[in-house]
Amino acid sequence: MSATDIPPAEMPPPVPDPQATVPARRRWWRALLADPTAALAMLVLAAIALAAVLAPLIAPHDPNANTRTVMLPPAWSERGTWEHLLGTDGQGRDILSRVLHGTRLTLLIGLVAVGIGGLVGSVLGLLSAMYPRIDPWVMRINDMLLSFPAILLGLALVAISGPGVLPVIVALGIASIPDCARIARSIGIGVMGQEYIEAGRAVGLSDWAILRRYLLRNSISSIMIFLSLRFGQIILIGAALSFLGLGARPPASELGMMAAQGRDFLLFAPHIAAIPSVVIFVIVLCANITGDALRDVLDPRLQS
Amino acid sequence: MTTPLLTVEGLTKHFPVRRGILRRQVGTVQAVTDVSFALQPGETLAVVGESGCGKSTLGRAILRLHEPSAGRVRLRDTDITALDRPQLRAARRHMQIIFQDPFGSLNPRMTVRETLAEPLLLHGLATPRSVRAEVDRLIELCELSRWHAERYPHEFSGGQRQRVGIARALATRPALIVCDEPVSALDVSVQAQIVNLLQDLQRELGIAYVFISHDLGVVRHIATRVAVMYLGRIVEEAATEALFARPRHPYTRTLIASAPRPDPTAARHRVPVRGGTPSAMALPSGCAFHPRCPLAIDRCRTERPELRRVGQSRAACHLAETVEDNAISAVSADSPALLRRLAILEQARAAAT
Repeated sequence: MSATDIPPAEMPPPVPDPQATVPARRRWWRALLADPTAALAMLVLAAIALAAVLAPLIAPHDPNANTRTVMLPPAWSERGTWEHLLGTDGQGRDILSRVLHGTRLTLLIGLVAVGIGGLVGSVLGLLSAMYPRIDPWVMRINDMLLSFPAILLGLALVAISGPGVLPVIVALGIASIPDCARIARSIGIGVMGQEYIEAGRAVGLSDWAILRRYLLRNSISSIMIFLSLRFGQIILIGAALSFLGLGARPPASELGMMAAQGRDFLLFAPHIAAIPSVVIFVIVLCANITGDALRDVLDPRLQS
Repeated sequence: MTTPLLTVEGLTKHFPVRRGILRRQVGTVQAVTDVSFALQPGETLAVVGESGCGKSTLGRAILRLHEPSAGRVRLRDTDITALDRPQLRAARRHMQIIFQDPFGSLNPRMTVRETLAEPLLLHGLATPRSVRAEVDRLIELCELSRWHAERYPHEFSGGQRQRVGIARALATRPALIVCDEPVSALDVSVQAQIVNLLQDLQRELGIAYVFISHDLGVVRHIATRVAVMYLGRIVEEAATEALFARPRHPYTRTLIASAPRPDPTAARHRVPVRGGTPSAMALPSGCAFHPRCPLAIDRCRTERPELRRVGQSRAACHLAETVEDNAISAVSADSPALLRRLAILEQARAAAT
């Protein structure tokens, strides 16, 4: 006799599920947008990202074209013109256009570096958590990586390959691996101790299935929040590297580099340094708030 | 006598205790030592004992969730202990487990439907097209509603989660289910429902249970046979009625006598138990129970009694034949408290059907 042969036990009349009409995905979005701060942060982040992607189309000027009016202040100040909404920099280039293009490069550096660090780090960390046998080896290599500051690693890579965006991305990516691996490992060890992992084994799941459906699914939200924080940090370090003259090469625009160049005019035209700095600040802030909200939504237990 | 469904021979699980940087082994926890028994199809063997006596380890060693240190486990004709990993995963279809903690044993990121579909698809018992209907059937078999399937574990009560755990264990239509204290985390009314559900399922599907518990009231209600464990060894094994009517081992008597009674006016036949449980890392010489046994003689301190046949039971006590004449037998197994408890279970059962 098999389970399929059993007539269903006598049941009370089915009660309609109050939530049955709402698909799970829409519930996520609803929860995500329920918090006004998070919704605003995501809106701003999306707008910045969109503007960055569309930079070549919407930038009012060529970001590298010089005009004869240098250090023009923003439009809302006394001497400003609407021709250059955010004014011009020390070489007479339109700051709005340069910020749009610069955000593009800054976001690219942040995303790719976080992607590399997050992917490699999470895989190493979760494998460490799952197989105690390899754990000490992975973690010792990790400690070695951890002892290199990101800026030093960047300097070394740039010394080898010359300045450019790619070595900066690689350096920031590698520098993110050990932190991420440590976080992923400690989250993973907590998850591996749960009884449902044993339940998964009892069902007969392979290690791969346990890793993917049990360990990863239960670790990913905590790792995500770490990565969103890390994204902000990486943008800051990336900007610092550009500031030091290691990243994007002039005349390309990058927010950190723009802030560095504005330093020379800080006393006469503070907006040249302030505007890209504010953009960096807003991006990092919004990334952190979004990370928080994302964690709440990815964890079904925190949904009411 | 038919061939047993499950045969356990000399099953042993010792955990090494390692300390220091070099991970040197400084001791051994003898969680389960030399346990043997056989289980017939459709039968329920209860494993009882106080906490730390190795009940849960025994259950997990049978399923090889803990790798046994020694001994053999056979399920029908398959030697479970000899299987390699892929074979073992395939064999898990036939032996399942229900966990004690209904809060920790379900993956919080999977809906009930995903949790139940997983074993079906894994063992090829349903195709992606038929799995939906199959999961619905399982849900109704365990007396949940269909729309529960799309929910996450945290949206359920403890009793409902335990039903999901039972449904998962049933999904592959196993011949054996190890129930590791399946009701001890639930409150009494829900306990009765779950115990009844387990019994109904056993009757309908012919599953054999290894029912690990420390609750003698529940054990008496559900078990065909009972094995009493003390510090990793079975000290007594008998048919349920025989065990409660004529306990042969002094430890069994102590257990029965100390079962909680929900009636403050009932006379207490207390057998004084001296001391606490010794550490499983440093077992006493001879009979492990001798430091606490009211009947211990010199022989008990030096010579460990083997588990041997005494009447209808198996008991590991030098005095098993004579002990029943002792004063402790004043403790009736049919204590009013136990009877009352059983009556409550029966009532709940009548109400449920």
